[in-house]
Amino acid sequence: MLQEIRFALRQLVKNPLFAIVGILTLALGIGATTAVFTLVNALLIKPLPYQDPARLVLLFQHFRDQHLDTIPVSPPEFLEYKTQLKSFDKLAAFNTSTYNLSIGNAPERVAGALVSADLFPLLGVQPIRGRTFRREESAAGRDDVVVISERLWRRKFDRNPRVLGSKLIADGRTFTVVGIMPASFEFPLSLFNIPGGQFGERADIWQPLGFTDKEMKERGSRSYAVIGRLAPQVSPQQAQAEVETLVAGMRARFPDNYPQTDSFGATLYPLKEQVIGGIKTLLLILVGAVALVLLIACANLATMLLARASAREREMAIRVAVGASRGRLLRQALTESVVLAIFGAGVGTLLAIWAIELVKTLGTQTIPRLGEVEIDPTVLLVTLAIAVGTGLLFGIVPGLAGGKPDLTEALKEGGRGSTSSRRHNQLRNALVIGEVALALVLLTGAGLLLKSFVRLQNVDPGFNPKKVLTAELSLPALAYPDNAAQVKFFNELLRRVGTLPGVTDAGFTTILPMSNVNSDCSFTIEGRLMDATHPGPDEEDRIVTPGYFRALQIPLVAGRNFAPGDKEGAPLVVVINHALAQRYWPNESAVGKRVRIPFTGPAWSTVIGVVGNVRHRGLDQPVLPEFYLPVTQVPYSQLILAVRSQQDPRSLTSALRREVQAIDPALPLAHVRPLEQVIADSVAPRRLAVVLLVAFAGVALLLASVGIYGVMSFLVVQRTHEIGVRMALGAQRSDVLRLIITHAGALIGAGTLLGLIVALLSTSLLHSALYEVSAFDLPTFLFVTVALALVAFVASYIPARRATRADPMIALART
Amino acid sequence: MNTGPLIKLEHIERSYPLGKQQFTYVLRDINLDVDEGDFVSVMGPSGAGKSTLLHLLGMHDFGWTGEYTLDETAVHRLKPKERTILRNEQIGFVFQNYNLLDDLTVYENLDIPLSYRHYSKSERTALVADTLDRFSIVGKKDLYPRQLSGGQQQLVSIARAIIAKPKLILADEPTGNLHSGQAEDIMRLFKKLNDEGITIIQVTHSETNAAFGNRVIQLRDGWIVDGQKGKAA
Repeated sequence: MLQEIRFALRQLVKNPLFAIVGILTLALGIGATTAVFTLVNALLIKPLPYQDPARLVLLFQHFRDQHLDTIPVSPPEFLEYKTQLKSFDKLAAFNTSTYNLSIGNAPERVAGALVSADLFPLLGVQPIRGRTFRREESAAGRDDVVVISERLWRRKFDRNPRVLGSKLIADGRTFTVVGIMPASFEFPLSLFNIPGGQFGERADIWQPLGFTDKEMKERGSRSYAVIGRLAPQVSPQQAQAEVETLVAGMRARFPDNYPQTDSFGATLYPLKEQVIGGIKTLLLILVGAVALVLLIACANLATMLLARASAREREMAIRVAVGASRGRLLRQALTESVVLAIFGAGVGTLLAIWAIELVKTLGTQTIPRLGEVEIDPTVLLVTLAIAVGTGLLFGIVPGLAGGKPDLTEALKEGGRGSTSSRRHNQLRNALVIGEVALALVLLTGAGLLLKSFVRLQNVDPGFNPKKVLTAELSLPALAYPDNAAQVKFFNELLRRVGTLPGVTDAGFTTILPMSNVNSDCSFTIEGRLMDATHPGPDEEDRIVTPGYFRALQIPLVAGRNFAPGDKEGAPLVVVINHALAQRYWPNESAVGKRVRIPFTGPAWSTVIGVVGNVRHRGLDQPVLPEFYLPVTQVPYSQLILAVRSQQDPRSLTSALRREVQAIDPALPLAHVRPLEQVIADSVAPRRLAVVLLVAFAGVALLLASVGIYGVMSFLVVQRTHEIGVRMALGAQRSDVLRLIITHAGALIGAGTLLGLIVALLSTSLLHSALYEVSAFDLPTFLFVTVALALVAFVASYIPARRATRADPMIALART
Repeated sequence: MNTGPLIKLEHIERSYPLGKQQFTYVLRDINLDVDEGDFVSVMGPSGAGKSTLLHLLGMHDFGWTGEYTLDETAVHRLKPKERTILRNEQIGFVFQNYNLLDDLTVYENLDIPLSYRHYSKSERTALVADTLDRFSIVGKKDLYPRQLSGGQQQLVSIARAIIAKPKLILADEPTGNLHSGQAEDIMRLFKKLNDEGITIIQVTHSETNAAFGNRVIQLRDGWIVDGQKGKAA
């Protein structure tokens, strides 16, 4: 075998052009495959960073009649699940939180989570230093302890081990650091499959969660997610059945809290399924795409090797004459192709490393676990296996074809081996047809997804995201203990921001559109029956200042916007969107109607205005009914500032920070980003898939063109004598051009036809990833077919032109 | 112990189809015995079928009819794989254009027939070293064929042919590309190998080369016209 490897290496050195083209072709194919496999490995295959993650489930409740499919649980509900369900080893509740850290000079807001003391043992993850929470630390007054991430320990404490036991000031409160979690630990994970289930930033601080007496009395106040570990020997189905029995009991015991129908219930979801979610389809599409690219690269290499096999026919004949068996020749051929593939894989891995970094910059913030993506030993092993497999695949056809040389002919002085050349030609033609067909399939898929993406980008979100800067603020309860203090701060900040040069409008909101955060609330409509059998409406709620509508240019459709007079103590007011007005007052004006919203108390709120619809959950998601409440009447400590400017919104960042610091030097500004970026992030997975797919389609087109060019060039060389004879007999250059182009045209035509058939059969697989584009979109099919045919024609025209320049004298003399 | 001829051909015919039910014959009713230790020269004008006969004997060509026995093995009854094994055991080839592998050194060109015959690494090293020494080409072992003269290339080619110790060497115009001085050296080498017991069949146009052998077969239009039976002087 060493001998064969040595000979293969020598072949590469001897034919540097062949080696370079071959290695680059394979590098593109294998590099793309490695990059996509790296993503698949990290996002789909690798287990979640917990012990035995397959037994972890999430518990969500639902009110189907109100279209609420995945809602959190309330503390009393959680306690029932925790104490009564026997199917679980452990159950833990958690909720996200943010902390304004005061370390060093600059205050900083970091993400964190409130978690049951049981969470860490439930996940089976130990801290790298210190400990996790004790059960008694869930009690109010004992919860001033935190566990921090390795990332925060590194970033803020320079990995100082003495941080354990030290004090950390967050939101004005003093906490004791008791533990440091490993770098790989991440919780909560973004739940990709649940709209609004993305928990945004990676948590760096965990605080024990305890429920107050007040919370334990509010069965309807649901804000905690629940995670559980199934007990050994208990199947998810058994656990689900037990949950349903418990829920039936809850419905019976608390008839005022639950509808007596199946509308209310609880469902267990495997954690991994929720984390992977929609990205799975996109990744599988990419896997299909790289498989096509790799096949095209293989077909290309096979045509190149076939051309070389023709040139090496004499060598093979000699090898047979001195004793080589057919198997031995095949082994030699396959060794050469595998060695070539391994070189290709080496360069491909470098390309993949670069591509992965590019992918990370495109979507780290928005694609769950993308930060974990790296080329690890598993990926390298798979790449090696792909290289060997690829080498065998593209080497087998020329290897088999070259293993049967016509000895009598090939060993003759000047023998040309015409019989096997004819056989090789047929194979080459078949390979080119295959390449064109595969490229067309990939181009069609990429074309459909691209068109779909463009359509999506052109969807009107219901607001104008251009030139708007957003930033998040969280007022700590210690410094801003009451509504008046919070409102005062927000008003002062708005006043200051309004004076900044270029700023036209500014406002606050609790939730930005397309930020993957949601909040909904049930309410009562005046004059409409609502009881356990007639559950009241439950729709999306936002708390805003009047400037918010102006800053986002959300149009006022009817009535009026909030005004300074709509303050605390004044009659309660609410602004609704057009969709909500249409749902509940379809044939009348909603303005003037009254609703009762639980968190504004028992008083009625009057609908004072109707604004335009906003696609809150995503450009491809339907418009949801929404209602807006004024901050002045419903104070809130965590708000997002939206500032419209006449200039590049990013240029306002430092001025914004300055104004916040001027009011409160300890208050950090977080998540400062243009609104356009928020929207771009919301389509990041789709954009990533489109970018990669278009890139792969480009590679496929390039490889197919190189393949056609190579085959036609070889054909021209092979037919030099024939062309010389034809020209000697009077053929014009145009006749020769026609001869070659006709041959190429037949191959391209056959490949295109085959590709169209395969594309028509396969694009329906893309259906779920397309937005307002049919899987059989005629313009896309036409466009890519014409484009491919054109490129293929150019690729064959170049060698055809060369053929027309053949000098009959030289051509005939070469025989 | 082989008591009969090394090669026995009976009613061998080789034809190629011309059209429907039409054939052109290259070899006609060939009957030939070659004894072990013979040095046979096959002669005749171009197109007489000399090379075809040689490739047939070398089992490069399987499209013939008749009976061919080599060292008491009925070749016509063998499967292709068995023929390959028999060929590797019994036959070495020498070509007019040397047919050395261009990308292998002299050493590797000698090594490769042994590796195809599954000799162990140590056996191969020993045999190649012996052969390099025997043919006085030790100093050339790391050179590539293109770095050698025609005569030197043919020398390597003959060394390659005998390295696996065949009983029979088939040589197709082995001096055709050499000048007379080199040609004579090569023929002396063949004569020496023949004297050591190797049976040689060569195709040649040269009476001088034929004179090194002990028997001449004349072919015309596919027929043996002289030397079919018995031994020529």
